[in-house]
Amino acid sequence: MSGSAKSLLFTAVLCVVCSLLLTAASSGLRPYQERNILIDRHRNVLLAAGLIEPGRKLGEAEVEALYAGRIRELRVDPAGRILEGAERARPEGLPLYLIQEEGEVRGYIVPIDSRGLWGPIQAYLAIDRDGQTVKGFAVTRHAETPGLGGEIEKEWFRRNWVGKKIATREGTFVSVAIAKGKVEEEVPEPKRPHYVDGISGATMTGRFLTAGIRDSLSRYEPVSIRFRRNQIAEWEKTLPPARP
Amino acid sequence: MTTAAARPWAAVRRTAAYKETVKALWRANPISKQILGICSALAVTVQLETALVMSLALTGVTAGSSLAVSLLRKAIPRNIRIIVQVAVIATLVILADELLKAFLFDVSKQLSVFVGLIITNCIVLGRSEAYALNHPPGQAFLDGLANGVGYSSVLLGVAFFRELLGSGKLFGATVIPEAFYRAGYVNNGLLVLAPGAFIMIGLFVWLEHTLLERK
Repeated sequence: MSGSAKSLLFTAVLCVVCSLLLTAASSGLRPYQERNILIDRHRNVLLAAGLIEPGRKLGEAEVEALYAGRIRELRVDPAGRILEGAERARPEGLPLYLIQEEGEVRGYIVPIDSRGLWGPIQAYLAIDRDGQTVKGFAVTRHAETPGLGGEIEKEWFRRNWVGKKIATREGTFVSVAIAKGKVEEEVPEPKRPHYVDGISGATMTGRFLTAGIRDSLSRYEPVSIRFRRNQIAEWEKTLPPARP
Repeated sequence: MTTAAARPWAAVRRTAAYKETVKALWRANPISKQILGICSALAVTVQLETALVMSLALTGVTAGSSLAVSLLRKAIPRNIRIIVQVAVIATLVILADELLKAFLFDVSKQLSVFVGLIITNCIVLGRSEAYALNHPPGQAFLDGLANGVGYSSVLLGVAFFRELLGSGKLFGATVIPEAFYRAGYVNNGLLVLAPGAFIMIGLFVWLEHTLLERK
Protein backbone atom coordinates (compact mmCIF):
# COMPACT_ATOMS: atom_id res chain seq x y z
CA MET A 1 0.00 0.00 0.00
CA SER A 2 1.34 3.44 -0.89
CA GLY A 3 2.06 6.01 1.83
CA SER A 4 -0.83 8.31 1.10
CA ALA A 5 -3.35 5.45 0.82
CA LYS A 6 -2.20 4.22 4.22
CA SER A 7 -2.59 7.74 5.65
CA LEU A 8 -6.09 8.04 4.27
CA LEU A 9 -7.09 4.63 5.58
CA PHE A 10 -5.65 5.39 9.01
CA THR A 11 -7.48 8.74 9.16
CA ALA A 12 -10.76 7.13 8.16
CA VAL A 13 -10.48 4.41 10.80
CA LEU A 14 -9.45 6.92 13.48
CA CYS A 15 -12.39 9.19 12.63
CA VAL A 16 -14.86 6.34 12.85
CA VAL A 17 -13.45 5.12 16.17
CA CYS A 18 -13.46 8.65 17.68
CA SER A 19 -17.00 9.39 16.49
CA LEU A 20 -18.28 6.10 17.84
CA LEU A 21 -16.68 6.79 21.22
CA LEU A 22 -18.14 10.30 21.41
CA THR A 23 -21.59 9.22 20.25
CA ALA A 24 -21.64 6.46 22.85
CA ALA A 25 -20.53 8.84 25.61
CA SER A 26 -22.93 11.56 24.56
CA SER A 27 -26.00 9.35 24.32
CA GLY A 28 -25.04 7.27 27.35
CA LEU A 29 -24.52 10.31 29.57
CA ARG A 30 -27.40 12.42 28.24
CA PRO A 31 -30.02 11.17 30.76
CA TYR A 32 -27.67 12.10 33.65
CA GLN A 33 -26.88 15.51 32.16
CA GLU A 34 -30.49 16.36 31.42
CA ARG A 35 -31.50 15.35 34.91
CA ASN A 36 -28.71 17.56 36.33
CA ILE A 37 -29.89 20.51 34.27
CA LEU A 38 -33.52 20.01 35.31
CA ILE A 39 -32.65 19.68 39.01
CA ASP A 40 -30.40 22.72 38.74
CA ARG A 41 -33.25 24.73 37.18
CA HIS A 42 -35.67 23.64 39.89
CA ARG A 43 -33.09 24.43 42.57
CA ASN A 44 -32.67 27.94 41.18
CA VAL A 45 -36.44 28.52 40.96
CA LEU A 46 -36.66 27.55 44.65
CA LEU A 47 -33.63 29.70 45.48
CA ALA A 48 -35.25 32.71 43.78
CA ALA A 49 -38.50 32.03 45.61
CA GLY A 50 -36.58 32.12 48.90
CA LEU A 51 -37.63 28.56 49.71
CA ILE A 52 -34.07 27.27 50.14
CA GLU A 53 -31.98 28.75 52.93
CA PRO A 54 -28.76 30.13 51.48
CA GLY A 55 -25.73 27.96 52.08
CA ARG A 56 -27.80 24.80 52.59
CA LYS A 57 -27.17 22.12 50.04
CA LEU A 58 -30.30 20.13 49.28
CA GLY A 59 -30.18 16.68 47.74
CA GLU A 60 -32.00 15.82 44.53
CA ALA A 61 -34.97 14.22 46.25
CA GLU A 62 -35.44 17.17 48.61
CA VAL A 63 -35.33 19.66 45.73
CA GLU A 64 -37.90 17.67 43.76
CA ALA A 65 -40.24 17.26 46.75
CA LEU A 66 -40.07 20.96 47.60
CA TYR A 67 -40.55 21.95 43.97
CA ALA A 68 -43.56 19.68 43.51
CA GLY A 69 -45.15 20.98 46.70
CA ARG A 70 -44.56 24.71 46.39
CA ILE A 71 -44.10 25.65 42.74
CA ARG A 72 -46.76 25.60 40.07
CA GLU A 73 -45.72 25.82 36.39
CA LEU A 74 -48.07 27.80 34.16
CA ARG A 75 -48.12 29.26 30.68
CA VAL A 76 -49.68 32.66 30.10
CA ASP A 77 -50.34 34.60 26.90
CA PRO A 78 -48.86 38.12 26.43
CA ALA A 79 -52.02 39.63 27.92
CA GLY A 80 -51.51 37.66 31.13
CA ARG A 81 -54.31 35.17 30.49
CA ILE A 82 -53.63 31.62 31.68
CA LEU A 83 -53.32 29.10 28.87
CA GLU A 84 -54.85 25.68 29.36
CA GLY A 85 -54.84 22.30 27.66
CA ALA A 86 -54.06 22.51 23.95
CA GLU A 87 -53.49 26.28 24.22
CA ARG A 88 -50.37 25.63 26.30
CA ALA A 89 -48.50 24.66 23.14
CA ARG A 90 -49.09 28.08 21.53
CA PRO A 91 -45.82 29.72 20.50
CA GLU A 92 -46.56 33.12 22.09
CA GLY A 93 -47.15 31.47 25.48
CA LEU A 94 -44.76 32.53 28.26
CA PRO A 95 -43.69 30.25 31.11
CA LEU A 96 -44.61 31.52 34.58
CA TYR A 97 -44.09 29.94 37.99
CA LEU A 98 -46.37 30.50 40.96
CA ILE A 99 -45.17 30.19 44.55
CA GLN A 100 -47.87 28.47 46.56
CA GLU A 101 -48.42 27.81 50.20
CA GLU A 102 -51.44 25.89 51.41
CA GLY A 103 -53.20 26.47 48.11
CA GLU A 104 -52.66 30.22 48.20
CA VAL A 105 -50.53 32.14 45.71
CA ARG A 106 -47.68 33.88 47.58
CA GLY A 107 -45.91 35.33 44.57
CA TYR A 108 -44.70 34.56 41.08
CA ILE A 109 -41.43 33.90 39.33
CA VAL A 110 -40.44 35.39 35.99
CA PRO A 111 -37.77 33.62 33.92
CA ILE A 112 -35.13 36.11 32.77
CA ASP A 113 -33.48 35.60 29.38
CA SER A 114 -30.63 38.02 28.91
CA ARG A 115 -27.54 38.61 26.89
CA GLY A 116 -24.28 38.41 28.79
CA LEU A 117 -20.76 39.46 27.94
CA TRP A 118 -19.73 35.95 26.79
CA GLY A 119 -23.05 34.21 26.22
CA PRO A 120 -26.70 34.07 27.24
CA ILE A 121 -27.69 34.46 30.89
CA GLN A 122 -30.72 32.61 32.24
CA ALA A 123 -32.09 33.57 35.63
CA TYR A 124 -35.23 33.67 37.74
CA LEU A 125 -36.69 36.72 39.47
CA ALA A 126 -39.32 36.05 42.13
CA ILE A 127 -41.84 38.79 42.89
CA ASP A 128 -44.13 39.06 45.85
CA ARG A 129 -47.92 38.90 45.79
CA ASP A 130 -48.01 42.74 45.69
CA GLY A 131 -46.66 42.66 42.12
CA GLN A 132 -43.71 44.93 42.81
CA THR A 133 -41.44 43.72 45.63
CA VAL A 134 -38.64 41.37 44.61
CA LYS A 135 -38.54 38.19 46.71
CA GLY A 136 -35.32 36.84 45.26
CA PHE A 137 -33.05 36.30 42.28
CA ALA A 138 -31.08 33.30 41.06
CA VAL A 139 -28.96 32.64 37.97
CA THR A 140 -29.23 29.19 36.45
CA ARG A 141 -27.01 29.49 33.37
CA HIS A 142 -24.28 31.91 32.33
CA ALA A 143 -20.86 32.03 30.68
CA GLU A 144 -19.44 35.11 32.44
CA THR A 145 -15.86 35.32 33.68
CA PRO A 146 -15.42 33.43 36.96
CA GLY A 147 -14.65 35.87 39.77
CA LEU A 148 -15.90 38.90 37.80
CA GLY A 149 -19.21 38.67 35.90
CA GLY A 150 -19.52 35.14 37.28
CA GLU A 151 -20.27 36.70 40.67
CA ILE A 152 -23.90 37.18 39.53
CA GLU A 153 -24.62 33.66 40.76
CA LYS A 154 -23.05 34.25 44.18
CA GLU A 155 -24.93 34.59 47.43
CA TRP A 156 -23.82 38.18 48.19
CA PHE A 157 -25.10 39.37 44.82
CA ARG A 158 -28.38 37.45 45.10
CA ARG A 159 -29.02 38.93 48.55
CA ASN A 160 -28.90 42.42 47.00
CA TRP A 161 -32.19 41.86 45.22
CA VAL A 162 -34.48 41.01 48.10
CA GLY A 163 -36.93 43.85 48.85
CA LYS A 164 -36.18 45.91 45.72
CA LYS A 165 -39.18 47.29 43.79
CA ILE A 166 -39.90 46.74 40.09
CA ALA A 167 -42.47 49.56 40.09
CA THR A 168 -42.94 52.96 41.74
CA ARG A 169 -45.39 53.41 44.60
CA GLU A 170 -47.92 54.67 42.04
CA GLY A 171 -47.57 51.41 40.13
CA THR A 172 -45.51 52.58 37.13
CA PHE A 173 -43.09 49.92 35.86
CA VAL A 174 -39.39 50.86 36.21
CA SER A 175 -37.63 47.49 36.55
CA VAL A 176 -34.55 46.97 38.78
CA ALA A 177 -31.14 47.98 37.46
CA ILE A 178 -27.61 47.03 38.47
CA ALA A 179 -25.71 50.12 39.63
CA LYS A 180 -22.10 50.82 38.73
CA GLY A 181 -20.63 50.49 42.21
CA LYS A 182 -22.42 50.63 45.56
CA VAL A 183 -26.04 51.85 45.51
CA GLU A 184 -25.52 53.93 48.65
CA GLU A 185 -22.69 55.88 47.03
CA GLU A 186 -23.88 56.13 43.43
CA VAL A 187 -27.67 56.40 43.42
CA PRO A 188 -29.77 59.29 44.84
CA GLU A 189 -32.01 58.36 47.74
CA PRO A 190 -35.45 58.22 46.00
CA LYS A 191 -34.20 55.85 43.28
CA ARG A 192 -32.46 53.38 45.58
CA PRO A 193 -35.32 50.82 45.69
CA HIS A 194 -34.83 50.26 41.96
CA TYR A 195 -31.05 49.60 42.05
CA VAL A 196 -28.82 46.79 43.32
CA ASP A 197 -25.06 46.96 44.06
CA GLY A 198 -22.91 46.34 41.00
CA ILE A 199 -19.90 44.03 40.64
CA SER A 200 -16.55 45.73 40.24
CA GLY A 201 -14.79 44.52 37.11
CA ALA A 202 -18.09 43.40 35.55
CA THR A 203 -19.62 46.61 34.23
CA MET A 204 -20.62 45.04 30.90
CA THR A 205 -22.26 42.01 32.51
CA GLY A 206 -24.26 44.39 34.71
CA ARG A 207 -25.30 46.48 31.73
CA PHE A 208 -26.47 43.47 29.70
CA LEU A 209 -28.28 41.88 32.63
CA THR A 210 -30.02 45.16 33.49
CA ALA A 211 -31.36 45.37 29.91
CA GLY A 212 -32.33 41.67 29.90
CA ILE A 213 -34.24 41.99 33.16
CA ARG A 214 -36.08 45.08 31.92
CA ASP A 215 -37.09 43.29 28.69
CA SER A 216 -38.21 40.12 30.43
CA LEU A 217 -40.15 41.94 33.15
CA SER A 218 -41.89 44.20 30.64
CA ARG A 219 -43.15 41.11 28.79
CA TYR A 220 -44.71 39.93 32.04
CA GLU A 221 -46.05 43.36 32.97
CA PRO A 222 -49.72 42.35 32.30
CA VAL A 223 -49.30 39.61 34.95
CA SER A 224 -47.58 42.03 37.34
CA ILE A 225 -50.38 44.58 36.88
CA ARG A 226 -52.96 41.98 37.91
CA PHE A 227 -50.96 41.27 41.04
CA ARG A 228 -50.45 45.00 41.72
CA ARG A 229 -54.16 45.81 41.39
CA ASN A 230 -54.91 42.92 43.66
CA GLN A 231 -57.02 41.15 41.10
CA ILE A 232 -55.42 37.91 42.11
CA ALA A 233 -58.43 36.42 43.78
CA GLU A 234 -60.32 36.51 40.47
CA TRP A 235 -57.29 35.42 38.47
CA GLU A 236 -56.77 32.48 40.79
CA LYS A 237 -60.27 31.24 39.95
CA THR A 238 -59.17 30.83 36.33
CA LEU A 239 -56.30 28.57 37.42
CA PRO A 240 -56.72 25.05 36.11
CA PRO A 241 -57.11 22.47 38.87
CA ALA A 242 -53.77 21.28 40.22
CA ARG A 243 -52.60 17.98 38.91
CA PRO A 244 -52.56 15.36 41.66
CA MET B 1 15.90 7.43 58.08
CA THR B 2 17.21 3.88 58.54
CA THR B 3 19.40 2.38 55.86
CA ALA B 4 16.93 -0.46 55.25
CA ALA B 5 14.26 2.03 54.37
CA ALA B 6 16.62 4.19 52.38
CA ARG B 7 17.95 1.46 50.11
CA PRO B 8 14.82 0.63 48.08
CA TRP B 9 14.38 4.37 47.67
CA ALA B 10 17.89 4.62 46.24
CA ALA B 11 17.05 1.85 43.78
CA VAL B 12 13.91 3.69 42.74
CA ARG B 13 15.92 6.86 42.22
CA ARG B 14 18.06 5.17 39.61
CA THR B 15 15.13 4.11 37.40
CA ALA B 16 14.29 6.02 34.22
CA ALA B 17 10.69 6.43 35.35
CA TYR B 18 11.77 8.23 38.52
CA LYS B 19 14.06 10.56 36.60
CA GLU B 20 11.35 11.42 34.09
CA THR B 21 8.84 12.07 36.86
CA VAL B 22 11.14 14.39 38.77
CA LYS B 23 11.91 16.19 35.55
CA ALA B 24 8.22 16.77 34.84
CA LEU B 25 7.41 17.83 38.38
CA TRP B 26 10.36 20.06 39.03
CA ARG B 27 13.33 20.52 36.69
CA ALA B 28 11.19 20.89 33.55
CA ASN B 29 7.85 21.77 35.10
CA PRO B 30 5.45 22.57 32.23
CA ILE B 31 4.33 25.92 33.69
CA SER B 32 7.21 27.33 35.66
CA LYS B 33 10.05 26.05 33.43
CA GLN B 34 8.58 25.59 29.98
CA ILE B 35 6.02 28.42 30.39
CA LEU B 36 3.29 26.29 28.78
CA GLY B 37 -0.41 26.24 29.65
CA ILE B 38 -0.27 29.80 30.97
CA CYS B 39 -3.67 30.74 29.52
CA SER B 40 -5.64 28.26 31.62
CA ALA B 41 -3.38 28.90 34.61
CA LEU B 42 -4.49 32.53 34.49
CA ALA B 43 -8.16 31.75 33.94
CA VAL B 44 -9.11 29.04 36.44
CA THR B 45 -6.95 29.99 39.43
CA VAL B 46 -9.31 32.51 41.04
CA GLN B 47 -10.64 29.71 43.23
CA LEU B 48 -9.03 26.49 44.48
CA GLU B 49 -12.02 24.28 43.65
CA THR B 50 -12.05 25.12 39.95
CA ALA B 51 -8.25 24.86 39.83
CA LEU B 52 -8.41 21.38 41.36
CA VAL B 53 -11.03 20.02 38.96
CA MET B 54 -9.21 21.62 36.02
CA SER B 55 -5.97 19.97 37.21
CA LEU B 56 -7.66 16.57 37.41
CA ALA B 57 -9.21 16.97 33.95
CA LEU B 58 -5.92 18.04 32.38
CA THR B 59 -3.95 15.28 34.11
CA GLY B 60 -6.49 12.71 32.93
CA VAL B 61 -6.40 13.98 29.36
CA THR B 62 -2.59 14.18 29.22
CA ALA B 63 -2.11 10.69 30.65
CA GLY B 64 -4.86 9.23 28.46
CA SER B 65 -3.68 10.84 25.23
CA SER B 66 -0.05 9.90 25.89
CA LEU B 67 -1.13 6.31 26.46
CA ALA B 68 -3.31 6.19 23.35
CA VAL B 69 -0.71 7.84 21.10
CA SER B 70 2.00 5.54 22.45
CA LEU B 71 -0.14 2.46 21.75
CA LEU B 72 -0.71 3.67 18.18
CA ARG B 73 2.85 4.97 17.68
CA LYS B 74 3.91 2.22 15.25
CA ALA B 75 0.74 2.53 13.14
CA ILE B 76 0.54 6.33 12.89
CA PRO B 77 1.79 7.53 9.47
CA ARG B 78 4.49 10.17 10.10
CA ASN B 79 3.07 12.73 7.68
CA ILE B 80 -0.28 13.07 9.46
CA ARG B 81 0.88 12.45 13.03
CA ILE B 82 -0.09 15.90 14.39
CA ILE B 83 -3.63 15.61 13.03
CA VAL B 84 -3.95 12.14 14.55
CA GLN B 85 -2.72 13.36 17.94
CA VAL B 86 -5.07 16.33 17.94
CA ALA B 87 -8.00 14.05 17.06
CA VAL B 88 -7.13 11.74 19.98
CA ILE B 89 -6.75 14.69 22.39
CA ALA B 90 -9.97 16.35 21.23
CA THR B 91 -11.90 13.12 21.73
CA LEU B 92 -10.57 12.76 25.28
CA VAL B 93 -11.32 16.40 26.13
CA ILE B 94 -14.92 16.13 24.94
CA LEU B 95 -15.25 12.91 26.96
CA ALA B 96 -13.92 14.69 30.07
CA ASP B 97 -16.33 17.58 29.53
CA GLU B 98 -19.31 15.24 29.11
CA LEU B 99 -18.34 13.28 32.23
CA LEU B 100 -18.07 16.47 34.29
CA LYS B 101 -21.48 17.61 33.06
CA ALA B 102 -22.97 14.26 34.02
CA PHE B 103 -21.36 13.72 37.42
CA LEU B 104 -19.85 17.02 38.67
CA PHE B 105 -22.42 19.42 37.30
CA ASP B 106 -21.82 22.32 39.70
CA VAL B 107 -18.08 22.52 39.08
CA SER B 108 -18.54 22.01 35.35
CA LYS B 109 -20.82 25.05 35.35
CA GLN B 110 -18.07 27.11 36.96
CA LEU B 111 -15.32 25.91 34.64
CA SER B 112 -17.53 26.65 31.63
CA VAL B 113 -15.36 26.92 28.50
CA PHE B 114 -12.03 26.12 30.10
CA VAL B 115 -12.45 22.34 30.01
CA GLY B 116 -13.00 22.50 26.26
CA LEU B 117 -9.92 24.67 25.95
CA ILE B 118 -7.69 21.84 27.26
CA ILE B 119 -7.50 20.85 23.57
CA THR B 120 -5.40 23.96 22.91
CA ASN B 121 -3.15 23.41 25.93
CA CYS B 122 0.39 23.00 24.63
CA ILE B 123 1.32 20.58 27.43
CA VAL B 124 -0.95 17.85 26.09
CA LEU B 125 0.18 17.94 22.46
CA GLY B 126 3.75 18.65 23.60
CA ARG B 127 4.04 15.46 25.69
CA SER B 128 2.34 13.37 23.06
CA GLU B 129 4.59 14.65 20.24
CA ALA B 130 7.87 14.84 22.17
CA TYR B 131 7.57 11.73 24.34
CA ALA B 132 4.66 9.36 23.69
CA LEU B 133 5.44 8.96 19.96
CA ASN B 134 8.73 7.23 20.71
CA HIS B 135 8.27 5.56 24.09
CA PRO B 136 6.37 2.41 25.18
CA PRO B 137 2.84 2.83 26.63
CA GLY B 138 3.72 2.37 30.32
CA GLN B 139 6.40 5.07 30.29
CA ALA B 140 4.28 7.39 28.14
CA PHE B 141 1.34 7.08 30.54
CA LEU B 142 3.58 7.84 33.52
CA ASP B 143 5.10 10.80 31.70
CA GLY B 144 1.64 12.20 30.92
CA LEU B 145 0.58 11.71 34.51
CA ALA B 146 3.73 13.36 35.90
CA ASN B 147 3.39 16.37 33.60
CA GLY B 148 -0.26 16.70 34.57
CA VAL B 149 0.71 16.68 38.23
CA GLY B 150 3.51 19.17 37.53
CA TYR B 151 0.97 21.50 35.93
CA SER B 152 -1.44 20.91 38.82
CA SER B 153 1.17 21.75 41.45
CA VAL B 154 1.69 25.26 40.06
CA LEU B 155 -2.03 25.73 39.35
CA LEU B 156 -2.99 24.84 42.91
CA GLY B 157 -0.17 26.97 44.34
CA VAL B 158 -1.28 30.01 42.36
CA ALA B 159 -4.96 29.38 43.17
CA PHE B 160 -4.11 29.03 46.88
CA PHE B 161 -2.56 32.50 47.06
CA ARG B 162 -5.09 34.11 44.73
CA GLU B 163 -8.10 32.82 46.66
CA LEU B 164 -6.51 33.50 50.06
CA LEU B 165 -5.28 37.02 49.35
CA GLY B 166 -7.90 37.97 46.75
CA SER B 167 -11.07 36.77 48.48
CA GLY B 168 -9.91 35.74 51.97
CA LYS B 169 -11.14 32.20 51.35
CA LEU B 170 -9.88 28.65 50.75
CA PHE B 171 -12.09 26.19 48.86
CA GLY B 172 -14.91 28.72 49.24
CA ALA B 173 -14.73 28.84 53.06
CA THR B 174 -13.74 32.13 54.66
CA VAL B 175 -10.42 31.77 56.51
CA ILE B 176 -9.43 35.38 57.24
CA PRO B 177 -11.02 36.18 60.60
CA GLU B 178 -13.68 38.89 60.74
CA ALA B 179 -11.51 40.77 63.26
CA PHE B 180 -8.86 41.38 60.56
CA TYR B 181 -11.41 43.13 58.35
CA ARG B 182 -12.63 45.21 61.29
CA ALA B 183 -9.02 46.21 61.97
CA GLY B 184 -8.76 47.56 58.43
CA TYR B 185 -7.53 44.55 56.43
CA VAL B 186 -8.77 44.63 52.83
CA ASN B 187 -8.78 41.79 50.27
CA ASN B 188 -6.41 42.44 47.39
CA GLY B 189 -8.74 42.96 44.41
CA LEU B 190 -5.83 42.83 41.95
CA LEU B 191 -5.30 39.13 42.63
CA VAL B 192 -8.83 38.31 41.47
CA LEU B 193 -8.08 39.89 38.10
CA ALA B 194 -5.90 38.40 35.35
CA PRO B 195 -2.92 40.77 35.97
CA GLY B 196 -2.77 39.41 39.54
CA ALA B 197 -2.45 35.90 38.12
CA PHE B 198 0.41 37.03 35.86
CA ILE B 199 2.27 38.48 38.82
CA MET B 200 1.64 35.36 40.91
CA ILE B 201 2.84 32.99 38.18
CA GLY B 202 5.86 35.23 37.63
CA LEU B 203 6.72 34.93 41.31
CA PHE B 204 6.41 31.13 41.10
CA VAL B 205 8.73 31.00 38.07
CA TRP B 206 11.25 33.21 39.87
CA LEU B 207 11.08 31.13 43.05
CA GLU B 208 11.62 27.83 41.27
CA HIS B 209 14.52 29.15 39.20
CA THR B 210 16.22 30.61 42.28
CA LEU B 211 15.77 27.37 44.24
CA LEU B 212 17.21 25.33 41.36
CA GLU B 213 20.24 27.57 40.98
CA ARG B 214 21.14 27.13 44.65
CA LYS B 215 21.40 23.38 44.11
